[in-house]
Amino acid sequence: MTRLVRQFLELAVLLFLAVAPAAAVDAPRQTIVDAILSSDDGHKRELISSLMGQADDSIAGLLVAWRKDELFIFTTPDGAKIPVHLTGAKDAAGAQEAVRVLDDGAVTRSDGKLLRLVAGDLIAVEHTTAIRRAMKLVLDLIDLAAADPAKRLQAVQTIGLSQDASKLPALQARIPKEGDPHIQRALKEAVALIQLKDTNNGVKIAALTQLKELHSLASTDFLHRTIKEAETAKNNEVLKAARAALYAVEQHRSVVDLFGTLFRGISLGSILLVAALGLAITFGLMRVINMAHGEMIAVGAYTTYLVQNIFGAGITIPFFGLSLPLPGMNLTGAAYQWYFIAAIPLSFVAAALVGIVLERTVIRFLYRRPLESLLATWGVSLVLQQCLRLMFGANNVQVSSPVYLSGNWLVNDVILGWNRVFVIGFAILIVFGMWLVLSKTPLGLLIRASMQNRTMASCIGVRTERVNMLTFGLGSGLAGLAGAFLSQIGNVGPSLGQGYIIDSFMVVVVGGVGSIGGTIISAFSIGGIDQVLQQYLPDWAPGLAWVPGIGTFLQNLAQDAAVFGKILVLAGIILFLQWRPSGLFSTRSRNLDE
Amino acid sequence: MSSPSPRLSFWSNRKNFELWLVGGAAVFLIFVFPLFNKLGWVSNFTISLWGKYLCYALLAMSVDLLWGYTGLLSLGQALFFALGGYMHGMYLMRMIGERGQYHKPIPDFLVFLGWEKLPSFWEPFASFPFSLTMVFLLPGLIAYVFGVLAFRSRIRGVYFSILTQALTYAASIMFFRNNLLLGGNNGFTDFKLILGYDLQAAVTQRALFVASAVALLLVYGFCRWLKQTKFGLVQQAIRDGENRVLFSGYATAHYKLFVFVLAALIAAVGGALYVPQVGIINPSEMQADKSLEAVVWVAVGGRGTLLGPIVGAIGVNALKSWAVRAFPDLWYIVLGGLFILVVLFLPGGLVSIPKRFEPLWQRIRGMDTQKEAEAIVSPELKSEPRRT
Repeated sequence: MTRLVRQFLELAVLLFLAVAPAAAVDAPRQTIVDAILSSDDGHKRELISSLMGQADDSIAGLLVAWRKDELFIFTTPDGAKIPVHLTGAKDAAGAQEAVRVLDDGAVTRSDGKLLRLVAGDLIAVEHTTAIRRAMKLVLDLIDLAAADPAKRLQAVQTIGLSQDASKLPALQARIPKEGDPHIQRALKEAVALIQLKDTNNGVKIAALTQLKELHSLASTDFLHRTIKEAETAKNNEVLKAARAALYAVEQHRSVVDLFGTLFRGISLGSILLVAALGLAITFGLMRVINMAHGEMIAVGAYTTYLVQNIFGAGITIPFFGLSLPLPGMNLTGAAYQWYFIAAIPLSFVAAALVGIVLERTVIRFLYRRPLESLLATWGVSLVLQQCLRLMFGANNVQVSSPVYLSGNWLVNDVILGWNRVFVIGFAILIVFGMWLVLSKTPLGLLIRASMQNRTMASCIGVRTERVNMLTFGLGSGLAGLAGAFLSQIGNVGPSLGQGYIIDSFMVVVVGGVGSIGGTIISAFSIGGIDQVLQQYLPDWAPGLAWVPGIGTFLQNLAQDAAVFGKILVLAGIILFLQWRPSGLFSTRSRNLDE
Repeated sequence: MSSPSPRLSFWSNRKNFELWLVGGAAVFLIFVFPLFNKLGWVSNFTISLWGKYLCYALLAMSVDLLWGYTGLLSLGQALFFALGGYMHGMYLMRMIGERGQYHKPIPDFLVFLGWEKLPSFWEPFASFPFSLTMVFLLPGLIAYVFGVLAFRSRIRGVYFSILTQALTYAASIMFFRNNLLLGGNNGFTDFKLILGYDLQAAVTQRALFVASAVALLLVYGFCRWLKQTKFGLVQQAIRDGENRVLFSGYATAHYKLFVFVLAALIAAVGGALYVPQVGIINPSEMQADKSLEAVVWVAVGGRGTLLGPIVGAIGVNALKSWAVRAFPDLWYIVLGGLFILVVLFLPGGLVSIPKRFEPLWQRIRGMDTQKEAEAIVSPELKSEPRRT
């Protein structure tokens, strides 16, 4: 029994200890109260400056309130002075609620009511220029200690770029405390940038050496300026160090550009691949020119949009005067973020169903007439586009990125968007999945048999009608998957698919119709070449002057690197087909007309 | 091509019927219609609307020459149409002179882009003959270069279609840029004068309408002549079995190249006549969708016939003019649906409808069995294009 009591007491003590610090006043608030009540300006400044670099959320709010004359000293009837913050809405008499600066608690009057004061009746806490300057310094540096690393990084970079020497001590003090290696690097960079303005040659050279080691991309402009200054001042040592630093930075930049381009090329290649894989089946294997392929992509993207809304607040879809209400599950937080994972299989199913209906109603009559399948499916594409427009409006709809797909991954100054990284991974995954289906399952065997020789497969008992339907469904479903992922990369609108259809056909034609491997290689080649041209065309543009007559014209055009690059890629494809008319990998056949 | 038997029904005697129809329509369009307009019985709006249809009919003829008679489904005809339009549009832009918004001697959009003086390639377009030459030269040259590349490596069938579509796409994204100095998004508009006449005047529009009608009649006559020459027969043989023609010793690539360039020129003429009547040309005219729309006209009218594309272009566009106003939301569904239905159920197009009713017609007329049999094996029925 006594043991139990002792344990209980111990527990109570422990609990008290745990609660005690929370109940106590946090130090920055106490400091501000002291500063307000202090009668000596010098002491006030000292107290305020002591807040520098501290990470307390209340500091910024109180200092700003002080500057905006929202802090007042309330004298209680017994003579005690309480600094208060007047906040909240004014009532009819102009009174606002008074909140203690010390602990953010409301002040109760002796009759138990909350204290309300009129600002005009009181005298605001004074502030002189010197105090305001001290406050500004604290406020500028407050983000240095923010809990959010992104905010910290931003603060460090802003300070570095402004080259404000007065903030140098705070930055230097912060370096050993900073745990995040990225931010630590940024801190060193900022310190070096500020030191560049130092008059002492030794400090300058040390800063330049530091920048050279960090090969910081942000310092290019400052280095150019330093070189110019050193040239005019004939300061050879600094000049030499600055040139060396600039060289290192430029070297680093070209490496970063190269890897960035490479990454963007691979990412564009996977986007093309994802978009073209469905076509590689419907066009490559089935020889159906499905111009509605783009709309299948759009169906997938809109399915993602629908799933997002069902996970959220629900949506009502108008269609031909009817309106179809879809109730929402009103999920929030982490549960809501799962919507994208749920949307992936659903967009496959939705597009596959549309594809199967299309196959049953239109395409099955046109297997022997590929050119006419092109025309009929173009009609289908018009109808589908207009239906999407009637259902979801002509404008783009908002598909939000789940947290795990937004943001960037910074590897050695190369920015890798998470959504792009995911598309690459996703492309690898569905290529693998498709390979499994086509080569390891009975369905895949039937598909390959029917596509190689429909009549013969039918003769030996394959139900080719059904296989056709399933194959077309598979191809369309893949397009739907592409749509789900493209919704994370670009806009989702009724004409989403139009932007991808020509590129997809190009990828399949260049890869060789009927060859999935060729499709993969051609998607990455086209994506890579396109990005390389976009990155480096502006650099090469001045070299186009030699072309007689239209030299300036070409130079002018090459400035639009995105468009000109695309045109060059298309021209390149036409020339490539001169060399290999049936693409990279052609399927051999004895049939003359294939 | 045996001469039609006089004993056959009026409908199956299509050649005669068609000639009468075309002759009548030509007289009506070239003389009667403009006269009615002058007398005030037909509004200026109707004249310019029908002028537009006739230009579209020229575009449709060019598609039909390629697709219906040579088996090449080009999705790039809108490019040649628009290029013809642009080349003529450049002349019209020069003719605005200082009457533009900015009252400068260079076109408004160049002032807007910050140009002080005319870029050098704009200089010669002040001359009408030069612009007319370019209407033929530029589309012809592009068609020639593309054709040589495509046909030399034996790109055919759907690959040809996809590549022409890519060509159009590349050109359209280029024309959308301001840096090309051809007006960017907005293209050319706000024309004032043509050959010194006021473009807005009723008489000018009437003259342009007659010019379009005459051009269409000439193209129709030319195609009609071409199809019964030896060249035309080889052309149709390529459509029906290219490999056999190739193995018989004909260089099919040359034939196809010639037809491709010819079709580009016809489309360009259509575009050049289209621009002054509609008053605007911009890059949206050369998008791949426009080419496909022209293919719809031909398919709906009836490919592999000479009347079909004209009937299709005028019919579908008249339907469009009405439907866009009556059911703005549903127009694309109507167009798409019409296209699916025609492809699935009426591969011969509208002009094949009378022939479909022929057996019924003959039964009503009470023809004897021998004549019926004769009608069934008549060459007209056999010359329906093979489905490719």
